Amino acid sequence: MLVRKHKSDRIIGVLTVVLLAIGLIVIYAIGPMRANVMNAAYGTDYGENYFFWRQLLNVSLALVAFVAAFNFPYKIVRRLGKVALGLGLGLCVLLGVLALFGSALAQCSLGACRWFDLGFMSLQPAEILKFGLVLYLAGLITERKQEGKLTSWDFWLPFAVVCSVSLFLVIVVQKDLGTGAGMIAIMLAMLFMSGVKMRYFVATVGVILAAGVIAIVAYPHRMERILTFGSADSSDAYHIENALIAIGTGGMFGVGVGNSVQATGYLPESINDSVFAVMGETFGFVGLVAVVGCFTILLLRLLRTARFLPDDEESLVVVGIFAWATAHVVINIASMTGLIPLTGITLPLLSYGGTSMLLMAAALGLVLQLSCYTGREPRKEAVIQAKTRRSQRANWGQLERQLAQRQRAERAERLTERRED
Amino acid sequence: MTRNKVLKFGVLTVMAVIVGRLFFIQILQHEMWTEKAAAQQTLTNTLPAERGEIYMMDGSEPTAVVLNATVYTVIVDPMLADQEAVAEVVGKAVGDKLVAEWDEVFANRNLRYYVVARGVERAAAEQIAEAELTGVWLQSDTERVYPEGTLASTVLGFVNAEGEGQYGVEGALDGRLAGTDGLLKTVKDVNNIALSIGDENVRIPAEDGENVVLTLDKNLQHRVEQILASESERLGFANLSAVVLDPNTGEVLAMADYPGYNPANYGQVTDISAYINHVVEDPYEPASVCKTFTFATGMEYGVMDANTTFNNEAVTYVDDWPIWNAERGAFLLGQQTIQTAFNYSLNTGSTQVLRWLGGSETEITAQGRERLYEYYHNRFGLGEYTGIELYEALGSVTEPNAEIYGINSTYANMTFGQNMQVTMIQVAAAFASVVNGGHYYTPTVVAGTMEDGEFVEAAAREPVRETVSEETSAKMREMLYNTRKAWRNTGLDAAGYYVGGKTGTAQVIRDGAYVLDETGATYIGFGGTDGEMPEYVIMVRVWEDGKVAGGQEHALPVFNALKTAVQDELKVRPAGM
Repeated sequence: MLVRKHKSDRIIGVLTVVLLAIGLIVIYAIGPMRANVMNAAYGTDYGENYFFWRQLLNVSLALVAFVAAFNFPYKIVRRLGKVALGLGLGLCVLLGVLALFGSALAQCSLGACRWFDLGFMSLQPAEILKFGLVLYLAGLITERKQEGKLTSWDFWLPFAVVCSVSLFLVIVVQKDLGTGAGMIAIMLAMLFMSGVKMRYFVATVGVILAAGVIAIVAYPHRMERILTFGSADSSDAYHIENALIAIGTGGMFGVGVGNSVQATGYLPESINDSVFAVMGETFGFVGLVAVVGCFTILLLRLLRTARFLPDDEESLVVVGIFAWATAHVVINIASMTGLIPLTGITLPLLSYGGTSMLLMAAALGLVLQLSCYTGREPRKEAVIQAKTRRSQRANWGQLERQLAQRQRAERAERLTERRED
Repeated sequence: MTRNKVLKFGVLTVMAVIVGRLFFIQILQHEMWTEKAAAQQTLTNTLPAERGEIYMMDGSEPTAVVLNATVYTVIVDPMLADQEAVAEVVGKAVGDKLVAEWDEVFANRNLRYYVVARGVERAAAEQIAEAELTGVWLQSDTERVYPEGTLASTVLGFVNAEGEGQYGVEGALDGRLAGTDGLLKTVKDVNNIALSIGDENVRIPAEDGENVVLTLDKNLQHRVEQILASESERLGFANLSAVVLDPNTGEVLAMADYPGYNPANYGQVTDISAYINHVVEDPYEPASVCKTFTFATGMEYGVMDANTTFNNEAVTYVDDWPIWNAERGAFLLGQQTIQTAFNYSLNTGSTQVLRWLGGSETEITAQGRERLYEYYHNRFGLGEYTGIELYEALGSVTEPNAEIYGINSTYANMTFGQNMQVTMIQVAAAFASVVNGGHYYTPTVVAGTMEDGEFVEAAAREPVRETVSEETSAKMREMLYNTRKAWRNTGLDAAGYYVGGKTGTAQVIRDGAYVLDETGATYIGFGGTDGEMPEYVIMVRVWEDGKVAGGQEHALPVFNALKTAVQDELKVRPAGM
């Protein structure tokens, strides 16, 4: 199937910009309160609009990254998959080493070192690692699929090594369960959409679940979080309670921009992880449904793009980005609304913060670029069948190989054509 | 279903759950969360009303004797503060007001609150504030200060640590002095700072307490207290009380107890009886000064006059109970005038007047008792609250037809001020009405208020009732004058002044029975320019447990000393000057 370059998916572009703008408004409204709280508690000297100007800078950089990723040709980006992965892993290792030696470059809080302190900004290498993972896995899966080796160790070995090393660095070394969960979502979603047989997928989920249980049981503080979830004894009870107070007081239409009281210090992390709760207080049910609606539409547009992209690798990249964004949105909102134990994770495009916003914007820019190459028809893909007869199952591998062969031919043709563009 | 669709439905399902959850929290539970928010976000502060200050008269100008001072508590946030800088600046400024060890303050750097000094004065607090130290703040508080020290302590009372007035004017007029606290109800941030957010903020300003101006004259009060102190030493009696009244208004010009206490250090008083104002709170038996009231009553009913005679036999029997004169034995026996009975305090004379009041020469009758009670209780207000603006004791005067054993004997005793319990202020106010033409003024210690630095005088005093006629009053003044003159140790009152008075020496009841080894002494008198109406009434009481005090020997000299001071301070001029 051949496609010509066409216009990008406007909706993705518009929603990205709209969400960035909403985030900016919220930070503008509560930034002064945040400055006040920080000044009172730590004797800092933040100006009234310090956080707004910083966020304006962040948003500007994010827009630049968004536009750059939109324009920077994917065929070059795809070759950088391994580089990005290596960079992400390398930076994570470096951070761990620096933290071990107590370097000022490693920014730690409560014993978890997740950021490089670059002075003018902080950099979270795990976010780069996520990007790298998406690109690398898309390439790996597509290559093995074309070789028909999706079930062989040629695929599973690198997949397992890369995934477990990444998760080890993030969850064990950086103690960042939230980001780890986001990575797991990326891995599973891409594996799921690779077309691999369900039993392989289910087995992978099983392995990760088992590892997850071990990771939780082995760390008392995580165990405690799970056990005390929903009870007042939990160390997060105050945070969740105040997030719920913020959301609950918002009512139908909210208290209005600048009238959030919870942001004056009651709600921890009001401008970062808890920004959703502040928005609930400010904009009410109507506002939150609108925000959730924006995210839902954006995520569905990503899925649609993946579905209409004829190219396996490109489609998988979009799936990975979809999983990445979905994990952040769902985990953050579910945490804030008390549906799951509190997990420190940013709300994409809305939370105050550099690296996460920058890379998410870049990722969406890349999707926007890829949305120019969607086909008219949805791609053919694996179908989950209610019941599989033995005879059909016997044919599955053959079908798969045939499909792969055909796609390989098409892909070669298309790449040739694009080069001629 | 394609796997892409599985993800799509997954996303939609999760988002639907989230929207449902939001509906639950924001719409269904909205009120609950709003209440929880209000519970933690509402700052309800009382805006403390400033307690009124207390003034005394200095001549015609009020002058403050109880003031409010702002003092400061210094608090340190050990997490933010720099130990060296804070220890140096704060340590130097607060001096001995420091209540903490610096090393202890900074031992735990996770603490956010440590009180390091209390009661710091404004100048020192300003020094600290100017240094602009991080992690140091000041909290203001008010404290009562007494520029006159112990002056009039039992009249003033004090303010306890809870800010409540106790005893004296502080206690009795607490409602007026305290004012009404205001209310501040506002949305606050997590550090308890009021926010301008929200439209249900409430602010009711505090109404400060009244600044009360007392009728007491500061200079006279000083002199009265000095005299009581020196007389206490000279006479060898532990307790002295005195009150000086203006008989024409009921205003108390001085009111003092010796020993007093220092209201600034009220907590150091070991015996709480030191707080008692004996002039108003301590009923006792004033003894023969009450003959003034008996003879005035006799004149009112026309049964006697100063020159009416009776037969004095040193003792007279009432229902077989003997009533002795103070000087038992053959003293002034035979026919004597009432003036003589007054001069030498013959109890037989006042008892005889009670018989005459009842229309009999030999018996005490119900009519006699009723007439005496009508004057003693109903007109002179003995055994009744006077209405002065202080805590008062009631005392007791037996009703004329009370069914008690020996009612006649009780009444015979009442004619010379025994078998009854009254306060000095009751006696002084009644006495003032006897000498001022028969007008009873409610005794008062409040001259008015200070409003914005201006003295606003209380309404002009009006008598609340008439006690005796002008004529009786004039005759009583003369009798009191003559009585005072009859005694040698009176000392001569200077020419041009007209001073009258009466002694009282009372047996004292201990455990329900009169004892022989203790008496209390009283003297009450009036004075002024010769030929004019009295300008002052002074009453003195001298006593000590287990000691015999005599009206002549002990109370009268104190009166004399006070009289000179009062004439001096009130600038009472002698006649013809």
